[in-house]
This record gives sequence, structure tokens and C-alpha cells, in this order.
Amino acid sequence: MKPQDFGKPSEQLFKLDKLMPLPAPYDKPGMEPDFKELRDSWKEGYCSTLDGFVGNDTLVRPKTKEEEDEMVKKFLSGLEKLFSDETNRVYLQPLALSFEYCAKCNTCSEACHVFKASGGVEAYRPIFRSEVLRSIYRKHKQGGSLISRFIGGDIDINYETVMRLGELAYRCNLCRRCAQTCPLGLDNGLLTREIRKIFSMEMGIAPKPLHESGTVKQLETGSSTGITKEAFMDLIEFMEEDIEERTGKKYKVPVDKKGADILLVHNAGEYMAWPENPAAFTIIFEEAGLDWTLSSDMIGYDNVNYGLFYDDAQGRKIGAAQLKAAKELGVRRIVQAECGHAHKASLVSMDRIMVGEDNIPRESFLPLLADLIKKNVFKLDPTRNNFPVTLHDPCNMARMMGIIKPQREILKAIAPQFREMTPHGVNNYCCGGGSGFAIMNSFNFTDFRNKVSSRMKFKQILEAFQDSIEDVETPKYVVAPCSNCKGAIRDILAYYQATAKFNVHYGGLVELVVNAMVDLDKPFLEFLLDDEDMMF
Amino acid sequence: MFLTVFIYLSIIAFVGLSLYKAYQFSKMPMHGRWELYPVPKEPDGKGHYGGSYYEDLEWWNKPRRVSYVGELVDMAKEMLFIKNLFVNQRRQWWICYAMHLGIYLLVLWAVMLLVGAITILSGGAVAADAGSWGALVYYVTFLSGAAGAILLAVGSIGMYLKRSFSETLNKYTTPLEYFNLFFLFVVALSGIIVWAGDIGFNYGREIMVALLTFSPIQADLALTVHILLLGAVMIYIPQTKMSHYVGKYFAFHKVLWENEPNLRNSKMERIVKEALSYKPKASWSAPHINPGAAAKKD
Repeated sequence: MKPQDFGKPSEQLFKLDKLMPLPAPYDKPGMEPDFKELRDSWKEGYCSTLDGFVGNDTLVRPKTKEEEDEMVKKFLSGLEKLFSDETNRVYLQPLALSFEYCAKCNTCSEACHVFKASGGVEAYRPIFRSEVLRSIYRKHKQGGSLISRFIGGDIDINYETVMRLGELAYRCNLCRRCAQTCPLGLDNGLLTREIRKIFSMEMGIAPKPLHESGTVKQLETGSSTGITKEAFMDLIEFMEEDIEERTGKKYKVPVDKKGADILLVHNAGEYMAWPENPAAFTIIFEEAGLDWTLSSDMIGYDNVNYGLFYDDAQGRKIGAAQLKAAKELGVRRIVQAECGHAHKASLVSMDRIMVGEDNIPRESFLPLLADLIKKNVFKLDPTRNNFPVTLHDPCNMARMMGIIKPQREILKAIAPQFREMTPHGVNNYCCGGGSGFAIMNSFNFTDFRNKVSSRMKFKQILEAFQDSIEDVETPKYVVAPCSNCKGAIRDILAYYQATAKFNVHYGGLVELVVNAMVDLDKPFLEFLLDDEDMMF
Repeated sequence: MFLTVFIYLSIIAFVGLSLYKAYQFSKMPMHGRWELYPVPKEPDGKGHYGGSYYEDLEWWNKPRRVSYVGELVDMAKEMLFIKNLFVNQRRQWWICYAMHLGIYLLVLWAVMLLVGAITILSGGAVAADAGSWGALVYYVTFLSGAAGAILLAVGSIGMYLKRSFSETLNKYTTPLEYFNLFFLFVVALSGIIVWAGDIGFNYGREIMVALLTFSPIQADLALTVHILLLGAVMIYIPQTKMSHYVGKYFAFHKVLWENEPNLRNSKMERIVKEALSYKPKASWSAPHINPGAAAKKD
């Protein structure tokens, strides 16, 4: 298949049939579920003509010729806006560089976990998607002339091309590992994000979990979880009771404490899916005697910003509102808890939207926690964590922010059997849930996530635990200090039944720290509790 | 005189158009932060493992330090040796680097021709037996010119053939990209044909003397064709993606390695302030961005 085949009519451009093999014990037949059957209603209503997966649930198939033409027209209008310094000031320079200078050396393909995991599917090469975009742009600019074909503008621009590109933009985790290897410093991840932007910002098409139930809901209610102030206060009360039950210690969680030193912000999904994570933060911050607070204000308690993945305008609106909430609370600094994309959105992307007093300093929890451990603020017994532990580096914290060492200093102090994945740190592979995939559960998209985009991470996890993977008595723990990554890893462990069959667990970093605290009578990690403990 | 004027024009076009390209990138609006680690200018060894100031507690209260040496070393490795390709795709690096090394050597060759011409105009001689300086200039010119032309020819046609025969690469290569490689090969080949008639590159020094004294160039058909092709490619390169010598600076230095924080009272804060004051005259059309326009349309 070539980029020129992208717009040609066919029921499905390609099928996945030779996925990358997994290591033991998943190298035997029958260890992996098959892909789900594609339903006729999905084929009729959405775009299944790319690879048979439907991820973008608002990319609805046009019903009339007029709607088809309108879709193409809107796409081309958005494409023009990408290259205008009026409408794309924020990314024009990096876009122009990546668009113009690619030498098509294909170095990026070998770095891409989706391409490798798929068994080398042509359309998943980082340059395939970019080349389709280039070809469309050149054809649009030059028409069907000889010059157009000479310079590479030789693709059929029709609604099928547009729809397939709208899906293909969601076959990349935006992890930017491809850009790390580019000899010219170019970024196929950025080009993918720019394609998503055309669909969202010009055509109003973006996956519902990111847009309608994501940023739109967050701007309306304060959080994509829809937690109201009252519900938030109930959750905090519940968390205080839960901590007391687990540890026998009573803490009062500070909320809306004006003028506190630290505003701690979590991914609001943690309160619902993994309340032990904010609970562990509470124990750590209280035991360390920090002057901290949570915010119950609209948009002040949820550090999520899905705009990072697909839409500049939404990202900016949410980021500005979050900084405003912190300023109104009068805190000295914001500390981002275990959420990778919130780290990047808040510390990096939003670093260009505020100045002066409005620009509240923001930092990661990692150096703060590493410092507390280095200063021996807590009494820790690493033998409480004496089981194999490996670390996943969230792309947004590692590759895009350069936070590598603090998490390792922490783990070396609390986990005697810590071992690295290969590769790791700044060269890590994405969890497969990046750029919103972790929350995109429409139609059969979870199959793509679990079997393809998360496949490399699952392989890395299995390889890190090869010495004990089949020893079912030994628990194994994957540290994922990011809510999004944790969601993706939760799903692969469940999908492959790795927890049930091989005792592989996952969780945050702070839980492991609290688990090592000698003051606690019982383990903090649930999988270490015996049946008697679980009864209480 | 036509050839003399043409060579001057092609040099001016190459430099001028390259600078214009750089100017076009530099005048683009301030972009959002889009860095990627490792960022080699991070000090204290952080540049090596991919660390940054975000690893430091209360990083904004620490003095901002930048390792210019680290940045220069990494830029030099990339510019001189195409390090990323060497590390990540060794098999392709050999042929690609042959072509680039050929170009670098030909730049050195041109400089040596100029040095030789100045030597001649100063009353000296440039030849294998013309004393230590004259011989040094002669041999450096000879070696750089010979190796440069051969490497450029082999590299450019090698890349052309590699792209043609590789099932993967030829899917992504446009006719224009084949043309670019072939153009470079033809220029190198025409140079080798001229060189075959004058192994010591005396014709090159004569051209340099003519350029310095602004006098006519004596050229036979082969040399005339070579000068026209070389001039044409110099005018052509900055207008194509072969001008990646410009793009690479911006891609690395101004995008991937620009992790400059917006600290209070910093230069970056002034740049951000100015950028924030800009009011765009156009907008995107989706309903959540432009609800007024959407409502009007409904």
C-alpha cells in the first residue's frame, strides 16, 4: 500500500494479521483474545474503511453527495488555516519545518511502537500519515496538474480520504519517539496532532471522550468526571474514612485553604477509579507536615486538560481557568500529582499563556517526593516492598519534560527488587493509552489499544519480569505514575489476564512509598493484604 | 564575462535565498513550547540522560543555567556526522553520509581554490613542486576536490538507486525528490569530467582568479556546462527542501531544544507578553470555537 492508495474505494484498506509476537508466557497459542467482529452498523455509520477499527465516534459517514462535498470543503478550509500565521500562530513554525523538510529516510518507523507492534503495517508508519497530508496539500494547492504530480500531490481528495485520515490521526499516541530519532529534528507526532486539530477546530469532529465528555464537560462542570463541588467534598470525606480504615490514622484533608504553600491537583479520575492514590498523597503530605491544600473550586481540583491531545483552543481555555483558580486561592505554587499529560499541559504548554502574577509557579510531585525521601522525613522499610517492581516512564513526564532521575531515586530507596524496563527513561515506549486512547472506549477501539498500541508496553512488562513471571506466588508491580498510563496498563493486564494468571499488579508510585512506611500496621497495597486483613 | 557574472549571481542567490529562508522562519510568530528531551544544553550531565530543570525542587527559584558547550557539541555531531542517522539507521547512513561528506569536502575545495587564487595573485605559485605553501595548497585542493566530487557522485546516485530499489523508500519518494538527487549527481559528474582533463584543478584556480579580478573566464564546452549546472544547482537548492541546513537549525535549536521557561521579569516573559497582545483577524470555524458564526449559519 502507498499513500496514493489512501483515497481509493475499498471496504477496508488493510487488515492486521501478523502482530508482533509477545514473550513468554504469551508466546503460546490461545493466550490472547482475537479481534472483535466489526458490526455492519459501524460500517454504515462511521469510518471502518481504514483498518476496521472505529475510534472517532463523531466522524459520521456523510449521507448525501452534498454532505460528502461539504466534508471535503471543510477539511481543505482547515488545512489552509494550519498554514496561516493568523489561525495557527502557536504551531506554525514547528509545523512548517516538519511539513517541508522530511527526507523520507524512514528512521522514525523503527522507533514507533504502533508500527512495530502491528507487525509493520504500512499505514502505521509515522511518515505515511504525514505524506498523505503533504500529498493532499500539494494537490489542493496545485490542482491535478503535472506540477502537482511531480511534487507529490497525487492523491484522490474525496470524503473517504478525509474520513480515513480522521481515523488514522487516532492511530498514533503522540508519544514523539519518532521525532527523537529524526536526523532533521522533524516531528510526525506534531503533524498527527495538527490533523486532529483540523478535524476538531474546523470541522467540529473529535472523539466524544476527549471533546464532548472531556474538555466541553470540564469547562461546564469543572471536570470531565462531572464531579460537582458537593460530590467532591463527599469524596474527600469518604477518602478520610478510608485512610483511617486502612491505616488507623486520622487525617483531615485540607480543602480551599487560602494562602497555602502548595495547591495539590490530581487527575479527578483518581478519586473515582484509584482513590488509594490521592489517599497516599494525603498520608505523605500530612506526615511530611507540608502546608498544602486541595481546591474544591470549579476546575481547581482536576488537573486534566485533554486539549493537549487535539485542540489548542480547548487546551488554552482549561489551562487558563486552572491557573486562575490557583491564583484566587492565593497559593505559592501548584504541585501536579500523578498525571502525565497534566504535567505537560500545565508546566510546559501553558507556560506561554500567562505572565507576571498570573503565572503561578508549577512543578511536578516527583522532585518534591524525592527530596522528602532524601531528607529521611519518613521512616521507611524497603523490605515491605520486597517483590519485583518495574517502572513505566510516562512520555509526557520523561520525553517531553525531562523528569527522569527523581522517580528512580525514590524507587531505589523503597524497592529492593526494582528493575528497569528496556528501553526506559527518555527512550521509553508509550503505554499505548497516550493522547487520549486510555479513555477512548467507543466501538471496537479498545481492541486496537489492547492488542496494538499497548502491545509494546505489555512486552516490556513481561520482559522486565521474565525471571518471575510464571512464579504465580510472587507478586509483581508495575509503577505507572500517571493516571492515563495507569488506565492503559490496567486494561492490558485485565485483557491478557496477567493479574489473575501471573500475579502482575500495577499502581502509582506514592502507594509504594506509603506501603514502605514503618508506622503502618498493614500493607497499603491491597494485593499484599491477606484474607483476614481484607475482612476489615 | 557571462560566466563570471553568472557565478557571482549564483553565489549571491545561494547565500541570499538561504538567508531569506532563515528570515522567513525567524519572523514566524512565537510558537508554543514543543521541546523534546534529551535537550543537550541542560547542564550538570542532564543533557546526556535527558534530564531537565523540572527535576529540581522549586526549579523557578534556581538560577537558570545553560550548557552552551553541550549544545554546540551535539549540534556539531549532528551537522558534521549526521549522528541521529548513524545511531538509528546505520545502513542508510553510509550512502547518505558519503553524499554529505562529499559536499563538505567540496566546500573545503572551493575555499582552497580561493586560497590558491590569492596565492597566485600575490605572486606565488600553486603546484606539487612549488615549495611548502604552494604544495600544501595544491595537495589539499586536490584531495578535497577529488574525494568530494567522487563521494558526492557516488552518494547522490547511490541514494537515487537505493530509493528506487527499496520497496519501502520508493513509496514515499516523489519525482521531484528523484530529480533533486539526479541533479546533484549530474553536477558532480560534469565536474569529474572537467577534472579528468586537469587533475590538479588549475582551471578552478583560474576561475577564482577571474572572479577576484572580475575578468572573463576561459572555458571549453565541458567546463561551461559544468559552471552552468553548478550555478543552477546553487540557485535551486535554497528553494527546495535540500535547504535543510537552514531548517535543521530551527528544528533543533528553536523548537526541540528551546525549553526556555517563562520566568518573571525574563526576556521570555517580554516575548510572551508581546505575543499575547496580538489579536488575530481570522478564526477557526468549529461551533465550540466560533459559536456566533455557527449560530448565524443555523
